Amino acid sequence: MEDIIVLTLHRAMVAGTPLLLATTGEVICERSGILNLGVEGVMAMGAVVAFIVTMTTGQPWLGVLAATATGIAFSSIHAFASVTLQANQVVSGLALTMLGLGLSGMLGKPYVGKPLSIKMEDWSIPWLSDIPWLGKILFTQGPFFYLAIVLAFAAWFFLERTRLGIQIRSTGENPKAAETQGVNVFRLRYLSVLIGGGFSALAGAHLSISYSKSWIEGMTAGRGWIAIALTIFALWNPGRAIWAAFLFGGFFVVQYLLQPLGISPSFLAMLPYIATLFILLLISLKDPRKLNAPAMLAEPYKRGER
Amino acid sequence: MKKWMILVLMCSIFLIGFSTTAFADDKKLKAGFIYVGPVGDYGFSHAHDMGRQYAEKKFPWLETIFVESVADADCARIIDRLVQQQKCDVVFTTSFGFMDETIKAGTRYPDKLFMHCSGFKRSDNVGTYFGDLYQMYYLNGIMAGALTKTNKIGYVAAFPIPELVRHIDAYALGIKAANPAAKLNVKWIYAWYGPDKAKEAAEALIAEGCDALAFTEDTPAVIEVGQRHSEKGKQIYTFSHYSPMQPYGVDSVVSGQLMNWGGMYTKILGDIYNKTWTNEDLWWLAKEKAAILGGSPTDIINPKFVGALKKAMLDTKEFGKISAYDLVVKRYAQMKQGVDVFEPFTGPISDNKGTLKIKAGETASKGDLLSIMYYVDNVEGDVPQ
Repeated sequence: MEDIIVLTLHRAMVAGTPLLLATTGEVICERSGILNLGVEGVMAMGAVVAFIVTMTTGQPWLGVLAATATGIAFSSIHAFASVTLQANQVVSGLALTMLGLGLSGMLGKPYVGKPLSIKMEDWSIPWLSDIPWLGKILFTQGPFFYLAIVLAFAAWFFLERTRLGIQIRSTGENPKAAETQGVNVFRLRYLSVLIGGGFSALAGAHLSISYSKSWIEGMTAGRGWIAIALTIFALWNPGRAIWAAFLFGGFFVVQYLLQPLGISPSFLAMLPYIATLFILLLISLKDPRKLNAPAMLAEPYKRGER
Repeated sequence: MKKWMILVLMCSIFLIGFSTTAFADDKKLKAGFIYVGPVGDYGFSHAHDMGRQYAEKKFPWLETIFVESVADADCARIIDRLVQQQKCDVVFTTSFGFMDETIKAGTRYPDKLFMHCSGFKRSDNVGTYFGDLYQMYYLNGIMAGALTKTNKIGYVAAFPIPELVRHIDAYALGIKAANPAAKLNVKWIYAWYGPDKAKEAAEALIAEGCDALAFTEDTPAVIEVGQRHSEKGKQIYTFSHYSPMQPYGVDSVVSGQLMNWGGMYTKILGDIYNKTWTNEDLWWLAKEKAAILGGSPTDIINPKFVGALKKAMLDTKEFGKISAYDLVVKRYAQMKQGVDVFEPFTGPISDNKGTLKIKAGETASKGDLLSIMYYVDNVEGDVPQ
């Protein structure tokens, strides 16, 4: 029994890692007022580039670096469309998803069916990994897990406690007021979208070179959309995103354990979205101000307009 | 006079044009293939595409085109496109879900031929074909039963349809032949193509104590899970499916099953070209060399596990005391001779509710096998409705 619980929680952490990375990125992006629905596509691009680079060079961290760079470059399309051109962010984001999924499939075609011989070993943290239960669940994990947690905390600190973070939040709440305070709204929104893209691509890199160690078209399998739902679920707070991401990872893992009890897997697949709707409903009923959504989310900012 | 000249000219051009197309029709055959998944899936669609390429290389008169990742609902539209725009003479629809649309297309285009893979509906110009792997699952079951230490064996399955239940049961019968104490646990992932789902289902089976895993899903995800655990010192035995997946799990893959569509496609296309085609159902097994044992094209069993399988001694009615390795080799040879020599579904076989399904001495008919929807007695749980 202990085995089942420990292994399941361990898997929930692994399954939640890409969700946490992508959600952290999306939180930063949305806090600046830009809705990016392109997470899924950027993630796929990150996955394919990380895989190709790791395969050809044999260096997984070079693959991660290349994926992050690709994610930044790729999401600049969305930044250009939504910030410079002030286009509809929903349309531009969806286009990015479609473009990313298609392009990654095309680029990755010669690499399908080739196993990656590079292994990303789990890191056992000394002392901590000897703690019963918790040691195996939290402190014997792949490097991406620790990276995701560190980055999520860093993002929380960045947004809540640094000058730049506060400026980014102010561009999402009231860009006009921010601009009068001397904040360059365009530059900060660009920066946020690019950081978000880098995070999404990192999540993709985790999928292809650590989680499954192979590239297969469509391997992101809707995780980008879950990350967008999670952003709302976590109420735009990277700290809250940590436990939310692992909770959603748990939903994904536990469906196979519950199967013998006759619980439909389709129901469990719906849970992340239902949970998001439920949280929205709950908070809206109690105190809508607590929702914390950036006031100018998805609103293009036009300089000098009333 | 001029008008008359132009008329003659136009007529002759028309005639020449017509005769060349008629000539080309005799010479060339164009085949369209519709796949349910991406050709890069390394499973079902990939195997079909290997078969398509094999046929195209073999026949200089053959031209092929394929459309990948086609959803059931899009099938009719894609058939129309292949027939009308691409001028295909024959269209292969390679998923069970395309069945009804293929029959309808047959009535829509009576002068074209259609071949539907894995279905049971036929008409004058619609034939069916399938290569089935259940015999190989039986052989894998023997190996899993002989190797398991926990007596818990797992299966990651795609959709609860007769094909999958047949494979699960054949695997279970093989396990029973080698190890009557072992039980088979099944997890359904409701996807043909779901590497993440297959991976988590495999992890769940291992968490529950299973140490030998077979699967029906179009990626090597289950193998990767087995390989990872095996590297960490917890030996998990896996069985490759459809494509040679042994490179993904050199320390984990024991054997598996490979499907060779090339032979089948060359036969069907050759028949069509030679005008000897009929709509008779083609169901190819080990005898026709469609189903092949192994996780790699070179070995039927991973050399790493041959020693252990030779040491595992089993008692059988037919051969007396025999090693698991020899039993697999003998049964495989019998299967290649035909289902009349050895059929895994030979009675007495009861379902796991205790009802006798196949009487002692009888073997399952093709009809029984194609509609099977019960678990045999060493499988846990129920077939989902």
